[in-house]
Amino acid sequence: MYQFCRTYVKTGMKLFDLIEENPSLLLMMQHFNIDFRVGDLTVSQLCNIEGVSEKLFISIANLYNGFRPVENPIDSVDDLRQTIEFLRNSHDYYREDKYPQISSYIKQLQENHPEKELKLLEKFFYEYFAEVIDHLDYEDNVAFPYFIELINKKTSSKTDLYSAKEYSEHHTDIELKIKDIKNLLLKYVSISDDLNLRRKLLFSLFELEYDLYIHSLIEETILIPFGYNIEKA
Amino acid sequence: MSRHQLHITIMVHSPIIYEGLHTVLSQSDMDCVICKVDSLDDLEAILHSKKVDILITNPLLLVNREKDVKRIRKNNPHFSIVGINLGIVDSHSLALLDSSFTIFDTTEQVLSKLQKAGNNNKLKVTTNDDNLTERELDVLTKLVNGFSNKEIADSLNISIHTVVTHRKNITTKTGIRSQSGLTIYAISKKIISIEEVDLH
Repeated sequence: MYQFCRTYVKTGMKLFDLIEENPSLLLMMQHFNIDFRVGDLTVSQLCNIEGVSEKLFISIANLYNGFRPVENPIDSVDDLRQTIEFLRNSHDYYREDKYPQISSYIKQLQENHPEKELKLLEKFFYEYFAEVIDHLDYEDNVAFPYFIELINKKTSSKTDLYSAKEYSEHHTDIELKIKDIKNLLLKYVSISDDLNLRRKLLFSLFELEYDLYIHSLIEETILIPFGYNIEKA
Repeated sequence: MSRHQLHITIMVHSPIIYEGLHTVLSQSDMDCVICKVDSLDDLEAILHSKKVDILITNPLLLVNREKDVKRIRKNNPHFSIVGINLGIVDSHSLALLDSSFTIFDTTEQVLSKLQKAGNNNKLKVTTNDDNLTERELDVLTKLVNGFSNKEIADSLNISIHTVVTHRKNITTKTGIRSQSGLTIYAISKKIISIEEVDLH
């Protein structure tokens, strides 16, 4: 699902063309709370209208197109707020859309095929899902408020109990177990027929993996380095 | 993702040549991913974050950019530049290329030149099948039965360090990292029977 060979997004390009090339950009727009009816607007016009930082939008759009940011796109309080808002919105997408969808497919698959292996796969997924929820809650309740606090105070906060370093250590790679489930389904677990359901499940896993990958890249290449810089200042 | 895969970036202004190359490459047997850039600056920007094995370009776009090309090559030693000879080429730009083809070449000629340019990059090939050794199977069985590294080491009379190495190899070969995932793998492969596993 995550393809590395697409256009390098720039200010004058039309959203319509970019979406046509990589429809996953719609998901990015949803995380930014931007409507899908883009007309003939260019990136720069759309950002202006929506009040979104153009640099941030381009950096994240390029992540979706497979390019890592060369420099940190956030340089103001407002940019940081927008980044956190974006990450929070993607949490809602995992919690309210992707996970219920995947778990309903796995449950259905398990009902259709009573083999114990699938029971184990279901159990594996639920344990994993619980871990992810923990991680998302932690980010929403501890990490993000810390970054907001940091920028509001604009003072060195060495006495604080928390730091960007701690965040980056806590920040586990939650995509790894998704890879395990995908590998198991594509390489090892034998299930007869049910291709429709299995394809839907695999597509959902790929979609989730794609967005989680970008999610952690935003945290690693944008949010955490920015936190370090403020702490140092 | 295949390890033999060639990452090809195309830098041409003509949409006809780009689409043509894209079609020829996509329809060939060559395992490649194709990407488009508009300028050397864009190429440098993407080289920060991704692999490029071959740049296919119109040599005219390299005119007066020798310094930049040299810098890019210095920073990316495993990288070839293949030029499209459109009939008008100056000798300076030609010197910057590793190889070239013309728009009158056959598809086979173009592909063979690209393949050759790609082979120069000496891609590392590693095997990745899931045939576990006897010892790895022993470690896997203990692992999915909930043994710790220390317990596995004691029961098989090997060092903890060796256990860790076996575990790494198991993960590389199977592509599965977590213990729960490995349990499902072991059952699917009939390495352990389902009755041995606690479902609660």
